[in-house]
Amino acid sequence: MSESPPSFPAQRCADCGLRYGHGAHVCRQCGSEAFEDAPLSGEGTVYARTTIRIPGSDQQGEEPFEVAVVDVGGAESVRVTARIEENPGLGPDDPVEFVERRNGVFYFRAV
Amino acid sequence: MKDVCIVGMGTTEFGVLDEGIKELGITAVARALRSCDVDREDVDALYLGNFVAGMLEGQETLAPLVADSVGLVGVPTMKTEGACASSGIAFRQAYQAIRTGVHDVVVVAGVERMTNAETPEFTRALGSAADHDTDGATGLTFPGFYGLVLNRYMHEYGATREQVAAVSVKNRRNGVSNPRARFRSPVTVEDVVDSRLVADPLRLYDCCPAADGGAAVVLASADVAQSFTNAPIPVLGSGHATGRSAAYRYDDLTTLEATSLAAEEAYGEAGISPSEVDVVELHDCFSAAEIGDSEDLGFFEKGEGAAAVAEGRTAVDGELPINPSGGLLAKGHPVGATGIGQVYEVCLQLLGEHENQVEGAEVGVAHNLGGSGAVSTVTVLGGPSHV
Repeated sequence: MSESPPSFPAQRCADCGLRYGHGAHVCRQCGSEAFEDAPLSGEGTVYARTTIRIPGSDQQGEEPFEVAVVDVGGAESVRVTARIEENPGLGPDDPVEFVERRNGVFYFRAV
Repeated sequence: MKDVCIVGMGTTEFGVLDEGIKELGITAVARALRSCDVDREDVDALYLGNFVAGMLEGQETLAPLVADSVGLVGVPTMKTEGACASSGIAFRQAYQAIRTGVHDVVVVAGVERMTNAETPEFTRALGSAADHDTDGATGLTFPGFYGLVLNRYMHEYGATREQVAAVSVKNRRNGVSNPRARFRSPVTVEDVVDSRLVADPLRLYDCCPAADGGAAVVLASADVAQSFTNAPIPVLGSGHATGRSAAYRYDDLTTLEATSLAAEEAYGEAGISPSEVDVVELHDCFSAAEIGDSEDLGFFEKGEGAAAVAEGRTAVDGELPINPSGGLLAKGHPVGATGIGQVYEVCLQLLGEHENQVEGAEVGVAHNLGGSGAVSTVTVLGGPSHV
């Protein structure tokens, strides 16, 4: 059996409870400015994937790399834009797990 | 509310041009003013759409500089910015100002110069339309955004790579006879699917080229439009909406709701349904974008857009011609000029003067989209007989 992945560092609005994967400054549902940590399971599913072969100016030299929209956290999932570690074969509905957040970017890998 | 008409129009070619940003704007505006009987004194305001002149040319304050250079003295001017929808927004604001009686005659321009920039500068400037903190930080580019869209679309609807390539084949074919287009040579399905990968599954020939260019129209209230031209083009409806700010914000990446919301508003104001539209210029920045746009604008059911293109239903002689100008894929995409460039092409169709004329075109739609589906404008135009 493999170990469970690290938990995913989600947050939720302290007033209305809406969950966020990427951080927010103001809750888009209730307008609150108060947030609290609400970690989720690091298990996720790919929603869509692409491989960037011509990167923007801040990622020059890292190409090719995979970017995906991932649903993470199981039943209470949040959707995030993330990197997939070297696995260009992944596609919609494939399972992934959270690895770490580095320089503000979420990294996932194939399960 | 007043009715609004287009009474004049002018454009430069879209392509690799020598002129600076200000000169492109001046040329487009001067041509639009010369195309009708509007005197400089008749013009109440000038609105100009532009995206990255500040970053790429270090030139801002474009609207008043262009206005002064063409002899529009003392009028209020402003620049609008919404990435690739910058001049669609300028058009919308001018339309609202006339509709509500604030102004009678407004010049609307769009302008961009892009091909002179070095690649790192260029990618940084274009990338500024994405959300820095999320998509941008992850390394998602605009081809990458549409790569995600197409990946999900093919998964959900079973569209084939060849069907999607048919968009580029059609639009490049249409561009052959458009003297305003940057690319005037055709491509085959094989050319597209064999071209190099940019953001899987999108390939090079799925992507529009950068371009330089300017385009302008003169808008006037219907009360005075006939004094400026004998063939005013009425604006039947206009919509402008905000969509999602990043890829992860979409519940369904195959629908960019800024477009469907703007279209709903524009069709509602025009009192038409999508089935009554005769010709469309829509935002085909990538082949995948045209397929999604054609569904979001209500022309095809979800999932049917790719097959519709491959079956020739959107060709110039098809049931609903889409991008007979060649679209962004052939004309090129001088970002801030694109929205007015589309309006220009639709006007030529409604006047019966287009190089790829759609027989009997009486109702046309121009659709402009900016960012990761963050903003859209939709304009419904009628033939001169609708005035």
